[in-house]
Amino acid sequence: MTIFPPRNLSAPGAALPSEESGHSPWSDAWARLRKNRLAVAGGIVVVVLAVLCAAGPIFSQSYEEQNLDLGASSPSLAHWLGTDTLGRDLLARVLYGGRISILVGLVATVVALVIGVTYGAVAGFVGGKADTVMMRVVDILYALPFTIFVILLMVFFGRNIFLLFFAIGAVEWLTMARIVRGQVLSIKRMEFIEAARALGYGRRRIIFRHIIPNILGPIIVYTTLTIPAVMLLEAFLSFLGLGVQPPMSSWGVLIKDGADKMEEYWWLLVFPGTAFSLTLFSLNFLGDGLRDALDVRASKD
Amino acid sequence: MLRFIGRRLLEAIPVMLVIVTGTFFMQRFVPGGPFTAEKAVTPEVMHNLEAYYHLNDPLWKQYTDYLWDLCPKRFHPGELAKGLDFKAAFGVDFRPSFKYPNRTVNEIIADKLPVSLELGGWSLLVALGLGLPLGILAAVRRNTWVDYLCSSLAMTGICVPTFVLGPILVLAFAIHTGWFNASGWYGPIDRVLPCLTLGNVYAAYIARLTRGGLLEVLNQDYIRTARAKGASELRVVFRHALRGGLLPVVSFLGPATAGILTGSFVIETIFQIPGLGREFVNSAFNRDYTLVLGTVILYAAMIIILNLAVDVVQVLMNPRHKFE
Repeated sequence: MTIFPPRNLSAPGAALPSEESGHSPWSDAWARLRKNRLAVAGGIVVVVLAVLCAAGPIFSQSYEEQNLDLGASSPSLAHWLGTDTLGRDLLARVLYGGRISILVGLVATVVALVIGVTYGAVAGFVGGKADTVMMRVVDILYALPFTIFVILLMVFFGRNIFLLFFAIGAVEWLTMARIVRGQVLSIKRMEFIEAARALGYGRRRIIFRHIIPNILGPIIVYTTLTIPAVMLLEAFLSFLGLGVQPPMSSWGVLIKDGADKMEEYWWLLVFPGTAFSLTLFSLNFLGDGLRDALDVRASKD
Repeated sequence: MLRFIGRRLLEAIPVMLVIVTGTFFMQRFVPGGPFTAEKAVTPEVMHNLEAYYHLNDPLWKQYTDYLWDLCPKRFHPGELAKGLDFKAAFGVDFRPSFKYPNRTVNEIIADKLPVSLELGGWSLLVALGLGLPLGILAAVRRNTWVDYLCSSLAMTGICVPTFVLGPILVLAFAIHTGWFNASGWYGPIDRVLPCLTLGNVYAAYIARLTRGGLLEVLNQDYIRTARAKGASELRVVFRHALRGGLLPVVSFLGPATAGILTGSFVIETIFQIPGLGREFVNSAFNRDYTLVLGTVILYAAMIIILNLAVDVVQVLMNPRHKFE
């Protein structure tokens, strides 16, 4: 039996809705986000880059058409960002590479998200010994040189792009699991969960229908911040020759290529590097802005 | 505290066992081996090679023999001063390498690890030397142009990864101006660009963490008390606030050193530095079973010990934490 009406739980610290206009916590967060100019700029840049990369290759020149007579030419009107040593248009290659980089970023993040949220929610909800053991496993995995294992996996099992998704996702889920567990612990004693239990709902339904929707804020924030981390790891692997393989190409591959040839052809390094850094900047600003807007505090336990 | 350290070291044993077992069997169960890339050799040569590396024994025997060789059998850390010989110091034998048949993995590690440690050590110093002052400045001058400048610098550090920054620094300061060598690891001047590149990213994270940690502490009552007693701003920051404000930085040092260790793979490739990181990546490509295992074990052990050290320092700095 509860005396108090259920509180507004979706965004901790959100302003109470006023009677007349009825702001939802999400619209409050949206208003706060819009005031943060850096975050808005970051969001716009991300969207523009994603659209360019998704649609650009349809309109641009072919990314694989070679023009050996042309060779590596500096930026010009015909080829805005110049061409590489095989005479391929660099703008088309950067756009096409961006497609792969962003795709890896999104898919691997989804993998990390699914593993991390499920693991963290189960650990937090079940509690007790299971929780202790599960979080101890996470602690131990945290302390391991995981990048080394991703490198070994990629070397031994062939450089397959699907393996890349899972290898990266398998590394990045740890932080998500910790955050989700902390959030679950903080809400699982609240009345509405008790009510769900009293209605006879099963654990699975309570976790996925009642708990997770109420901790979406932190999940969204850390997803936004996981995407740049994933893209960094992909580029790191590609730079070592372990990531995306030709004829496919990603920003990491292009940067590696440019770094090898930068003495003569600086544009091969500078443009892919700029595109990559710009994306990371925008995603990080957007993530920080979302964190402030949704008022999420970094919780460690 | 000794009990805490002892328990954590005991906990590390099964972890190391899992790492060794996983790496050992993962290597063996994938197609291809250390000799597949070589020219066709006569059956006798192949037979001798397999006998030399005990590849004819059943797999479980190879595994248990290897484990026995890995077990520390003596404890003379003084021997390490003469050179990084883990066999003389601890009786740990990593076996001969597959790719360099006349060298043992112990010798290769003794040869290459100091280079990587020097690279990592200087990089960590760069990270702390750049990150702490930037973070402190940003926190003390909160919401002024100094803060915005320091915070944007930190963001730049996070978003320009080592493999972009490194080549650009080479292009600007080695190829165009000729102040540094583009690659190599000979004189002190060759340390500058690699360590700046590797330390820069972590400097950025440290600056952000320092700023956040200090801001939280500077709002607390005991800081107000210190100010009320007339302590100078310098004394308030360095004497009173820093100890609590640096806690997030200290807990970050564990992941940071792990990151610097693995980050050195890329740095050693860019700058052609003869360190263990490049050797590890090559050994994985070459299927050099023993060298892969040896380096993985070494890296894992270093990371576990560093994390333990970080945890101990954290408790010593924060009386509210307990050894548990």
